[in-house]
Amino acid sequence: MEFLLELLTEELPASHIRSALDQLEAGFRKELADARIDVASLRTLGTPRRLIVAGDFAAGQPDREETVTGPPMTIAKAADGSLSPAGRGFARSQGVDESLLGPIVTPRGEYLGFRRLAKGTPTAEILMAAVPRVLGGLSFPKMMRWAESPFRFSRPIHGLLCVFGGTPVETSFEGFPATGATVGHRIASPGPVTAANFAEYQARLEKGFVVVDPEARKSMILAQVDAALGPLQAQVYPDADLLDELTLNVEHPLVVLGGFPETYLSLPLEVLSTAMRQGQKLFSVVRDGKQLPLFLGVADAPADPKGLIRRGNERVLRARLEDARFFWDQDRKVRLRERAAGLKNVVFQEKLGSYDDKAERLKKIASYLCDKLSAAEVKADVVEAAALCKADLLTEMVKEFSGLQGRMGGLYAEQEGLPAAVQRAIYEHYQPAGLDDDSPSSLGGAILSLADKMDSIVGVLGVGIQVSGSSDPFGLRRNAHGVAKVVLDKKLRFSFPLLLDKVLNVYGDRLPLERAAVKAACLDFFAGRLRFILEKRGFRYDLVGAALGPGIDQLYDALPRVEALDSLKSSPQIEPFILMAKRINNILKGQPAAKVNPDLFVDKEERDLHSSFAIIRDNAQPMLARGDYARAQGIIFKIQPVLNAFFDKVLVMAEDKKVRQNRLGLLQSIQKMLLGIADYSQVVVEGDRQAKPRASR
Amino acid sequence: MSVQDLILGLHRFWGGQGCYLAQTYDLEVGAGTMTPDTFFRVLDKRPWRVGYVQPSRRPDDGRYGENPHRVQKHFQYQVIMKPSPADIQDVYVQSLRSLGVVLEEHDLRFDEDNWESPTIGAWGVGWQVLLDGLEITQFTYFQQCGGIDLSPVPVEITYGLERLEMFLEQKDDIYDLDWSADVSYRDLRFREEREFSEYNFSVASVTMLKQAFGACQKEASRLIAKDLLLPAYDMCLKCSHNFNLLDSRGAISVTERVKMISQIRALVNEIARRYTAPKEAA
Repeated sequence: MEFLLELLTEELPASHIRSALDQLEAGFRKELADARIDVASLRTLGTPRRLIVAGDFAAGQPDREETVTGPPMTIAKAADGSLSPAGRGFARSQGVDESLLGPIVTPRGEYLGFRRLAKGTPTAEILMAAVPRVLGGLSFPKMMRWAESPFRFSRPIHGLLCVFGGTPVETSFEGFPATGATVGHRIASPGPVTAANFAEYQARLEKGFVVVDPEARKSMILAQVDAALGPLQAQVYPDADLLDELTLNVEHPLVVLGGFPETYLSLPLEVLSTAMRQGQKLFSVVRDGKQLPLFLGVADAPADPKGLIRRGNERVLRARLEDARFFWDQDRKVRLRERAAGLKNVVFQEKLGSYDDKAERLKKIASYLCDKLSAAEVKADVVEAAALCKADLLTEMVKEFSGLQGRMGGLYAEQEGLPAAVQRAIYEHYQPAGLDDDSPSSLGGAILSLADKMDSIVGVLGVGIQVSGSSDPFGLRRNAHGVAKVVLDKKLRFSFPLLLDKVLNVYGDRLPLERAAVKAACLDFFAGRLRFILEKRGFRYDLVGAALGPGIDQLYDALPRVEALDSLKSSPQIEPFILMAKRINNILKGQPAAKVNPDLFVDKEERDLHSSFAIIRDNAQPMLARGDYARAQGIIFKIQPVLNAFFDKVLVMAEDKKVRQNRLGLLQSIQKMLLGIADYSQVVVEGDRQAKPRASR
Repeated sequence: MSVQDLILGLHRFWGGQGCYLAQTYDLEVGAGTMTPDTFFRVLDKRPWRVGYVQPSRRPDDGRYGENPHRVQKHFQYQVIMKPSPADIQDVYVQSLRSLGVVLEEHDLRFDEDNWESPTIGAWGVGWQVLLDGLEITQFTYFQQCGGIDLSPVPVEITYGLERLEMFLEQKDDIYDLDWSADVSYRDLRFREEREFSEYNFSVASVTMLKQAFGACQKEASRLIAKDLLLPAYDMCLKCSHNFNLLDSRGAISVTERVKMISQIRALVNEIARRYTAPKEAA
């Protein structure tokens, strides 16, 4: 039988709608499965004012046989085999004929009882309780109260339509009894709409200017876009996120094609699209990749016969573009170099000084990175870019559209005719803004991006500002993710601790906290961030832990280390190897460092182990130096048989102290070699699960 | 329709909804929310309905009278309904119709926008209302004010009068608006915008403003201790305006900014706490 539910609300944010529809589907599937109701179909739909569930469920639970037991047979039957008073009492209380009673065998013995067919509960009855439970269980990223109730939801609720098999379910939610009625479009058709099933609901609401299926609305938008742009042989500049959001912002999409004066086309594309998209959720229109003086907006209305919606949007956009052009013209009157002088008056952070101070530091850090990355050819340009890259903070454009910082500086550098590499480095130095953003395309941009982010992280941690779950005032996590992403994307290898030393040196006496403490805090912070990033890329948490075990001297190496581990995770070889590594760790726990003296070896197996180890180490060394951990790991694995033999035959903790020290020394050398790749003891294997449970994060 | 017709229309409409029509508060504030007719009245349990015009001063938005959309002082029409009526969205839509807007010919949207004012420890959930892409109203269900969870929940409707008037008159320049039949916005406001922009950005004495901020802050603490909460709150409003002026003078660093806002908020939260504390028997 058909089920239809619509929760009518005030306008919900798009992200809340998506999340609620997922929760509704999961919630109803679980309720129905728990109640043993067969589900032929179940889907969710929505508009900004409606959360909708439509399905086809069995009319009720299947009937099932159940067993009812009474007193034990010993009590229920008299000596002659007839029912005792207790037995007859049971029959009476259950309302069954005595002839139907018989012995029921249970693990506790024989009992008097009977079997009967239990009628399944009708689905409508199940829904009475399930509907308010599922709706009441919805949660949203930000919830609110309204009027006088303590109840919290995304936005206030206005009604509940809920019918099963054509009749309203006898239920209610937050004071709204379920009915078979709702309302149409807020402005175009606000009157009541009744429906007994989904087809009726969909059709009648469509007449009320509400298209309930988001996919249908998206198709309408795309069809109208084609109809509007086809004759112009133009295309919409694709923006899937914006399309998805607009689909959930309207009940009846109406695509409006508007224009703006061609003079604004002199503005950079970055500025035009930011003004359109961020301010007004408008699509840009292009032909052959070139911006046209047109835009597409999506209104929530049946039609725009007088063109008032179009003209209104044009007026608003024109005002924004006029602002933008004013900024563009004003900003270009001052060269970046002159403007950069004003950075003295812009505070970066109270204790860390102004943005001018920051720019001075960036020049030194960027120059150091150029040396370490053998990038002499870009050094002069990167240092120039470092001096200028923050100047756009003082431009009117960036004050208005802060998302354009960096990019705007690059565009102004282009206008001034600065060298292309300088433009590029400035343009890209904020990138990546997050893990999903692109890294800079140029090496200069990558270096300046690293310098800028490292300067912020070291400085802010150095004045004692802590990053916690909810508090990250300077966006240090985002900065660290940016650093890691650039290093990984560009495969940049340089000593990270030495870079920290360099940045700390550049800061000199400015940082109130002690240098060693700041460095430790930075290393700790980055290890945590790398862990997050690698786990987010899908690597197993214990492999990530093992890969980070040797430390982060080379940020980049965390990736090949974890890849090497990952490539082996399902190999049969790995388990004995890991167990061996753990064994070594256990034996060496708390032991002081010891030296190996080959003359002190007693048994053949330890001599074999020592000579094999020397060969393997010498072979693996160059690969470790190159960061080729997969290869190195393959070689080091070859130590397994000799190590096995050693453990089988040799007692490490020998009576003789010298012999014992010598064996411990040998194991310490092996441990050190293994740690050159990963801390294998952190890898979780089957034989180890129970012994050492690890809290998953 | 002129600006003053618009104000009269809103007065008539919201008066009809049972609102008390308050007079403009006589201190500089950044938003209608900050005046006592909203701040104190949303804190307690008593039902409350009010409508009023409040000039809103945002020194940093000054453009020397050269920008057709942006001014350092604009006018808000502020409505508070407590508890929030169930049909408040419909009532709001009705208010637009009462101003003669034929909504069937336009695109009216309630677009997610959650408002907060860290200075007075207040935040709420709601929308910016867009009419053909133009933001004409901020529509907010207040959740907290002065750091206190509000119950009943008030709804705040803040119309941007100049924006709405530009829509009604279909004009592109704020200074071309008619305030009345023969007084234009330019007549009334142009010189003021030019002079105040100059003052806000270049002339205001940073030393004087910093001193004033400190003095008002001290005075607020003193008054709170004496349980003179309304005068203490006035001092907080003065702190807030001095802060805004210092900000537009470019005299505040990022950290100072956070610090000063939290200083004002601490005072405001204390005022709200005392205002709502159960009164001890005399």
